[in-house]
Amino acid sequence: MAKGVVLVVDDEAPIRDILSFYLKRADYQVLIAGNGAEALEEMGRLRPDLIISDLRMPGMAGDELCKHVKADPATQDIYFIILSAMDGTASRVGGLALGADDMIPKPFHAQEVLAKVDSSFRLIGMQKEIRRQNRELTLFQEKVQEEMELAAALQMGLLPKLPGEAPGARYTHRYLPASGIGGDIYDVLPLPDGGTAIMIADVSGHGVSAALISAMVKTSFENQVRLGGEPLSWARGMNEDLCRSTLAEQFATAWLARLDPGEDSIRYVAAGHCAPLRIVSGARGGLHRSEVLRGTGFMLGLDPGLPFTESRAECQPGDRLVLYTDGMVEVEREDHDMLGEAGLRRLCAELPADADAAADELVSRIRAFNAPSPFVDDVTLVILDRLED
Amino acid sequence: MLNIQTRQDGTASVVSIQGKVNFEVTAQLRDVIRETVATAQPKLLVINLEGVSFIDSSGLGLLVAARNSVDKSGGRLHLCCLPPPVKKTFDQTNLTNYFSIFATEQDALRGA
Repeated sequence: MAKGVVLVVDDEAPIRDILSFYLKRADYQVLIAGNGAEALEEMGRLRPDLIISDLRMPGMAGDELCKHVKADPATQDIYFIILSAMDGTASRVGGLALGADDMIPKPFHAQEVLAKVDSSFRLIGMQKEIRRQNRELTLFQEKVQEEMELAAALQMGLLPKLPGEAPGARYTHRYLPASGIGGDIYDVLPLPDGGTAIMIADVSGHGVSAALISAMVKTSFENQVRLGGEPLSWARGMNEDLCRSTLAEQFATAWLARLDPGEDSIRYVAAGHCAPLRIVSGARGGLHRSEVLRGTGFMLGLDPGLPFTESRAECQPGDRLVLYTDGMVEVEREDHDMLGEAGLRRLCAELPADADAAADELVSRIRAFNAPSPFVDDVTLVILDRLED
Repeated sequence: MLNIQTRQDGTASVVSIQGKVNFEVTAQLRDVIRETVATAQPKLLVINLEGVSFIDSSGLGLLVAARNSVDKSGGRLHLCCLPPPVKKTFDQTNLTNYFSIFATEQDALRGA
């Protein structure tokens, strides 16, 4: 098998013959042409790996042929060597500026040309290998990308369907993962005795591993809630689940709450999670004061023996709860000033009555505050309105 | 970029960290802590956070894991010199009550 295909383009037959002779003897397949136009015709029949072309030829000259070859995406990878009678740096540079890969001055020794062709083929081989590896990498990357998109779609499926309805409450969310998939999760579930269980959690770290654990947190919450009970027992159960099934560095901050129809309060456990806001009469829209549903408790998954405490706060029909993960208020701006809880309370002071309109308004206000810095962590916002009769 | 320095003080090892501790650098920090615990087998590991401007959940996870591994080998982990933003993160996640935290490196070494 030939080592490769070389197209020799020269208007002088003796030069074509001598180059052809040496190249064939060295196991190359040789095509010949008398000028640029003939060369293009020849290339239409068989694509060469390398072209050795004279510069001055009647009809289409070598420089024009070179420009032609290098301008066409189908042929631009063909290695192009210009044979030129004009010696000296100026013409050498001129030839390379045309896009040629190399130049050989005339007069030449056939052996010199052959050596150059051999070394060019080594380069061509390396380039081919690099392109092959590039194609493989691209394919691999596309496959990973596809899988990530699938995982992201699956994760979106773990979130409650909107519009969210619970007994005496309506809710919506905005979910903005930092890298396609993330470690935030929330859920609102009915309890067997008519109450509503609420959970928001933020798993340490980012990406796939955090996403896997967030699914685990959701499952654990579902299992706890199925038994009924109260936030304190859920927190303990979820903590045991997470301690059992995650690695040492993985844990989740969470906020778990229970709302009961007919009661004017909410019971909750804060497990290292940023405290939600209660906007008093916020579901009516307009300007209202807010309270922070603070509590102290350890993150879930640290240690199975750690204690949790349940808190209770007023929560009336017409009140609005704003649950979020820390990525929403902890964007470092250029002046190093973060929005934080206090800033969020300011931005929540006056929001529309409609929960979806309020969520959009709030996210755009936060983005405006952070601008030009984008969100860098996973961001989840849940707005839950307690309905008035 | 994270700058990590380690030194021995008697039977104690001190790891001083400077920079932002987030998921991009946890691998680097994990290696240093693991190596320090494995080679020096300190009775007391002090992690000085004075130069830390920010710590995210991956960083907190790393410190929790460090405490667990030191606990297992019968040693203790003391943290010291938490700057206000880091202190805030610890307070919010209630980790202030999970770790032994000291105001100065000297206090942390004395365990007072």
